[in-house]
Amino acid sequence: MLLRGLSWLVLCQLLGSALNVLLLPMLPGPIIGMLLLFGFLLLHGEVSEPLHVAASSLLKYLPLLLVPPAVGVMVYAEAIVADFWAVVGALVLSLVLSVVFAGWMMQRLIERQQRQREDA
Amino acid sequence: MSLDWYGAWQAMTHHPLFGAGITLGAYQLGVAAYEKTRWVFLQPVLLSMLIVIGVLLLCGLSFADYKVSAEVLTLLLGPTTVALAVPLFLNLRRIRQLFWPTVLTLLLAGVVATLLGVAFAWLFGAERIMLMSMAPKSVTSPIAMLVASQIGGIAALAAVFVMITGVVGAILGPSLLRRCGVHHHAAMGMALGMTAHAVGTARAMQESEECGAFAALAMSLMGMVTAVLLPLAIVLLT
Repeated sequence: MLLRGLSWLVLCQLLGSALNVLLLPMLPGPIIGMLLLFGFLLLHGEVSEPLHVAASSLLKYLPLLLVPPAVGVMVYAEAIVADFWAVVGALVLSLVLSVVFAGWMMQRLIERQQRQREDA
Repeated sequence: MSLDWYGAWQAMTHHPLFGAGITLGAYQLGVAAYEKTRWVFLQPVLLSMLIVIGVLLLCGLSFADYKVSAEVLTLLLGPTTVALAVPLFLNLRRIRQLFWPTVLTLLLAGVVATLLGVAFAWLFGAERIMLMSMAPKSVTSPIAMLVASQIGGIAALAAVFVMITGVVGAILGPSLLRRCGVHHHAAMGMALGMTAHAVGTARAMQESEECGAFAALAMSLMGMVTAVLLPLAIVLLT
């Protein structure tokens, strides 16, 4: 079960990497792979059990998989320390503002759409 | 008889699974600490990152050593990105109903998120190479690294900024959104996914499945839009 689903995921990733080299150098392989799988699911109309098992098992451990890239911070400690306040200040400020803006805007648009549907 | 303690130590720390091993251990500690305290600053990714860095420094290993021996985990990141298509598809109906709110928020808030980061860093006096590494901070690291090197930044620095943004977003995002009166799970997911990419998405999945689905959608759309539009915008503006 798990292995069959996993094979599909790896296949999509490999096809994605091939397409990345052939046609779409600006999109990374895994993202193209995700689009391929998404397109396949749209055509197929449902998620098969093996795929569902494999996808949810992997996604459960997504935070774990992100730890190794995060450890990369240690290499750039000096460069970051040099521009520390500029970098961290800009990252945190822009993040705080844009999270709130995105959430607020989305909620307003959802509420507006709901009101329009009620009026119609 | 003298035992070769040094050789044994070397054999352990230079084993091809050492990096994966300490990451697994650190992550379980991180999850346990988070579940015990429920303290928002103890995000498992952040805590495990600090533990791993600590262990590496103690053992005198470099990031390059670690990267090789943690490859088992890094390799799975690709298929896991592909797997995001599944929650996206399962929540397609809800997303379809909210098609215009999603697209409008993505375009407008996406531009705001990118511009604000660069503008603040410029105001605070960061150098151009820093600015260019920072522009794609809101998207998932494989895309961010690619885009950064295309527009004249440093790929690895971009990965670091992406990570800081993600961790800070996961820590502050949900409580900030609640405080500002954003309670709709689709809106929370959208905000977390498009500003804090994969870490935000992982955090959104803890909120609810709908929240996670919108986060995954927002993250992938933001990634694609950034990958295509940001290099174009830089070419046109400079």
